[in-house]
Amino acid sequence: MGFLQRPFVVLLLILTYQLLQCLVAFGSVNEGDQKQEQFSEELLLKPLPDRKVLAHFHFQSSAPPSAANGRHHHLFPKAISQLIQKFQVKEMELSFTHGRWNYESWGGFDPIASSNAKPPGVELWAVFDVAQDQIDASWKNLTHALSGLFCASINFLESTTTYSSPEWSFPPASGNLRYGTLPREAVCTENLTPWLKLLPCRDKAGLSVLLDRPSIYRGYYHSQRLHLTARGSGSKEMDSGIVLDQTLTVVLQPNSRRAGMVHASENHIQPSWSLSSMFGKQVIGKCILAKSSNVYLQLDSSLVSPTNSITSENFWTNPSFELSANPDSLLIEENSLHSKGLSVLYKFQVENYSESEPFDLGFTWKNPVIWSCQQAPLHASRFLMGSGNERGAIAIFLKSKQLNEGFIGFNADNERCELRVDVFQVVPWYVKVYFHSLQVFVDQQPKAVSDVIEKIRVSPSKDKVSPGMMEIVLKLPCRVKSAALTIDFDKGFLHIDEYPPDANQGFDIPSAIISFPDFHASMDFPEDDSMNKSSLLSKFKEKSPVMSYTEVLLVPLTTPDFSMPYNVITITCTVFALYFGSLLNVLRRRVAEEERFLKEKAANKTGGLSMMLSKLSAKLRGRPWEPPQSVQHLSSFINSKLVFKVILVAGLAVGWQYFFS
Amino acid sequence: MPEITQLPESDVSKPLPDLDPKTMRKTQPGLKRLFLTFSVLFSFLLGFPFFWNSVEIYRSPLPFREIDSLSTHLRSDTLRFPLHFHALFIGFHSDPDRLRLSLLPQITKLTSQNPKCSYNFTLSVIVDSASACLRSPNTSPPSSLYQCGSITPALFDPKDDEAVDQKLESVFGAKKEYTVVVVKGENERAVVGKYRHAWMLVSAGDQVEMAAVKVAEVLVKVFVNGGREEGSIRNEFMPVGPDGRIVLSFNLLNADPRDWVFDWDFQKIDETLLAPMIEALNPVANITVESQVLYHTPKASFSHWNQKLGSHVFSTNDLPFFVNSNEWHLDTSIAAGGRSKILQFVVYVPSAKECPLLLQLPNGEISKTNGFISPMWGGVIVWNPQSCLKDSESNPVDRRMIPLQDLEEMFEVFIGQFRQLFGFKSINVYTGASGVWNLLPSERGFTEWELDVLSRQHTCFNLHSCATTLGSLSRLVQSLPRMIIKDEIGKQVKFSLEAARLAQSNASNGVYESSAASSRQARSLAEDAFFHPSIMSVSYYSFEHCFAVYSPFFLPVAMHVVLAALRELRRYKKEKAKYLAWKAKAN
Repeated sequence: MGFLQRPFVVLLLILTYQLLQCLVAFGSVNEGDQKQEQFSEELLLKPLPDRKVLAHFHFQSSAPPSAANGRHHHLFPKAISQLIQKFQVKEMELSFTHGRWNYESWGGFDPIASSNAKPPGVELWAVFDVAQDQIDASWKNLTHALSGLFCASINFLESTTTYSSPEWSFPPASGNLRYGTLPREAVCTENLTPWLKLLPCRDKAGLSVLLDRPSIYRGYYHSQRLHLTARGSGSKEMDSGIVLDQTLTVVLQPNSRRAGMVHASENHIQPSWSLSSMFGKQVIGKCILAKSSNVYLQLDSSLVSPTNSITSENFWTNPSFELSANPDSLLIEENSLHSKGLSVLYKFQVENYSESEPFDLGFTWKNPVIWSCQQAPLHASRFLMGSGNERGAIAIFLKSKQLNEGFIGFNADNERCELRVDVFQVVPWYVKVYFHSLQVFVDQQPKAVSDVIEKIRVSPSKDKVSPGMMEIVLKLPCRVKSAALTIDFDKGFLHIDEYPPDANQGFDIPSAIISFPDFHASMDFPEDDSMNKSSLLSKFKEKSPVMSYTEVLLVPLTTPDFSMPYNVITITCTVFALYFGSLLNVLRRRVAEEERFLKEKAANKTGGLSMMLSKLSAKLRGRPWEPPQSVQHLSSFINSKLVFKVILVAGLAVGWQYFFS
Repeated sequence: MPEITQLPESDVSKPLPDLDPKTMRKTQPGLKRLFLTFSVLFSFLLGFPFFWNSVEIYRSPLPFREIDSLSTHLRSDTLRFPLHFHALFIGFHSDPDRLRLSLLPQITKLTSQNPKCSYNFTLSVIVDSASACLRSPNTSPPSSLYQCGSITPALFDPKDDEAVDQKLESVFGAKKEYTVVVVKGENERAVVGKYRHAWMLVSAGDQVEMAAVKVAEVLVKVFVNGGREEGSIRNEFMPVGPDGRIVLSFNLLNADPRDWVFDWDFQKIDETLLAPMIEALNPVANITVESQVLYHTPKASFSHWNQKLGSHVFSTNDLPFFVNSNEWHLDTSIAAGGRSKILQFVVYVPSAKECPLLLQLPNGEISKTNGFISPMWGGVIVWNPQSCLKDSESNPVDRRMIPLQDLEEMFEVFIGQFRQLFGFKSINVYTGASGVWNLLPSERGFTEWELDVLSRQHTCFNLHSCATTLGSLSRLVQSLPRMIIKDEIGKQVKFSLEAARLAQSNASNGVYESSAASSRQARSLAEDAFFHPSIMSVSYYSFEHCFAVYSPFFLPVAMHVVLAALRELRRYKKEKAKYLAWKAKAN
């Protein structure tokens, strides 16, 4: 028994020893976990009031501060890290957008609308950590690098006429900021593929499998964004951590045919949808490398509030809709200032699903529901006034929504209740804005500019050098119904080389940015699991001012006939040549002598035409015609001379051709 | 004016009995109009050069003749690297002059094979026997600082090559000479050291002549040519970017992270293994190292299961299809400059369903390193995890580290691959025609004499490449007479030529490092000039364009001016003839 037991004890010892080692090893891994590169993926789905669905993908990669950043990476994309190292970027955002965010029906107050709704085309801003005089050089190099990285013509932002440096009206404002947009840049898959390459799983696994190209580009709005922040932990730039947020926001129209067949009679019911019906794909499992992989379904406060009976027990049995999968938890928004109601998040953890049981969230409406999203304090729109190719005016129109009275009214009791609105507008140099013509209308009454505008900063445009920029802080009374800003401009002339190939289409004035610094678009969903903070929800929590972009304006400029320069050259040269030739003739000719010659000629010889004329007149008069003498040999001589001239010219032409071919 | 000139002619028109106004005139014909039209014509002709100058585009003058002279200079074989060979025979009793004379023709025969760069060698032979110290050539200050008797046969311990090498270095290291020491010993042995020395133990019975053949071979084939086979990897495949930089991009590819995820501690490897090598190669190229881990990267072709080996086998014929350029995002580096050479080194971790994955050589054997190289691209190693079983309990998210020992082995293979990309052997034995030499490996990856070979070859390659680039540039510039050439290009060409000249003079003085550095500079400047953005864009202003713009003015005007001049001239001649006729008649 004794010798039987001994090996057992030894074995046990070995086992425990190994276990201990394991534990120690595990502990060290956990310790090191804080300092490792991390990745998380999240998807937020949200039904929109106008029968559409919003899908917001959020991928976050982070690299801890390390000396090896830019050189050795395990999860974080090397290219991005090298970009930060090389150009000393402190913060940067690049967005590719197709379509326009519909602020009225898709909301203008929540974090998605204010930080993920972007102007059409490409928008890029970056904050640099270099000396003032090197910022422009860094910006130029950065645009070139990004343009190579994302297969887009971002390098057009290199020219000083396309970017500006706002001081305080653009939210992350600081002196080292550069901002530029390309409203006409077309966005397509060739921009998405390099964006996906930055994800560790690309579109091979995890939530990004859903990014089926035909489905997402069929949507009403599509915005692909890349935001990165380098957080310096020390004085040295080398040791800075990097956080890379990649988001893709799409607004899709669910295919309503199937729903229509089920509820043939109820046309006004919202279309039901599922992940597979919208994207044509299902989520098979999470990306193995992701720390967390969650899908959220957000229901608006006004959608939930009629069914106030939500408690944690029956949270998925809702009278107005039905979910095909049971959510793992329910998160309720907490304590927002504009507490009209509280929006609700259903959380689904993708790691609970597998290849045999794919995650395909279905959402079926049972009753017709009408609701609306939360709006920004003022709805902004921008339009052109005036006609003709000479001058016009830009108008920015801010309109209050009746719905907003509720949350504007919370401080309406104050006498001096004011609403602060920041306007940031960039105009290209060929739209020559007269800043003195700025007019402000509040509730359709003209107001003195100094009464309404608290602060204004203008940098006038320089021809072919820099665009015009205008930053304004408006103080409007809270009860304002509408406000308008108008400013006149003259249309400039471009040099013939500066016109784009499709000049007749018109020229774009980039979107103006209207922000409301008094209002913060943040949503706080307290999480029970404090260990795994969701990066999406922590983004929602961040207090960022409510922002909205106005429309892009299309200004038709006078476009020349592009063959004109050559025509002008030809006609001017001909006039000169004529003038010169006649001057030379006048100087050279002997009028009297020539007249004498002509007379002599008329006396002794007549040309073929005059002979025919004299014949004709003779016939008409009825007299016999007398032929003039000695004409025959002369006319034959003229003929041979003519033939010789023709041959000479032809020979010259042939020689010319031969010489140049 | 016209009236005044007309007056004499009106006189002429008066009928005079002996004057026929058609054939004669009394007065001299006026010169005024002739003078006027010709002055206009001449002012045009004089103005033409000014006009031509004004439409002329700016072209910086390029030193065409110097470019030509550089390339003819290089072609005519005047770039000679000086080499100093030193043969030391210890314990022999032969005549050093005779030995030298037997060595010289063999060395000459062997060195003449390299067509591009030639060498200018000197040879000194010392026979050191216990009794006498004989030198050849016997110059008054001895060509070698070697003190006879400082090396004894007892030093050559066949078991400790390192110590022998160190001793030889301490004796000969002061001068950059290639030394071969021949010693009599019991068992035959031939070793090439880490520095610039080789030694050979020959058994007592052997002839000195046999040893001399071997000495000649090691001097030329190993020290001069780097021990590579003729034509294995040619000079054109020098994996250095035109700007003299190399980026080594190391990639760990997890074919399927759902099975397992492996990670590595690259930083440690970088510091311990790669840093000394990079420092050693500094004169040849400026090397930077990067690493990344990629996931979901299957290989492009299939392997087949081999029952006998119990593993998946990938045959050499399919190797071109191993690298999957669609899924392997081995990005070009942003940190690297525009024309750096990027060498990709890939560790491929196969997925569970193809787990032990082995590469099979054409002769059916399994590759020992389990890797391959692709010239100018980089190398690939397949690394199989210890047990290929996918244990379902462990969460694949737990990143496993590749054991340090495996990693070190892997990087030794990578260094071997890197050497192969430079054309060196990855094994430590050189087999020549006359025998086998052991090569002592250096902990820096490249030995001193290999670095010398690289520097020489690099200088030679860079200078030729610089000459070719500048030659193409000059041909391009001469063939497009209306292309704009900026001053900057002219400056770059000038500096490039200067650097090339410096490299040549350094090379002929035997300063390898600085000649390699300045040849690198010459090449990079030449490339900069050739790929200058202003040349790349189609910015030349064609003759047709010029003609189309100016012809609407100059053609009609020129016609007027020339015709008027011709007419006036003709008329003047006619009138003059009339006057002369009258004069003749009057007289």
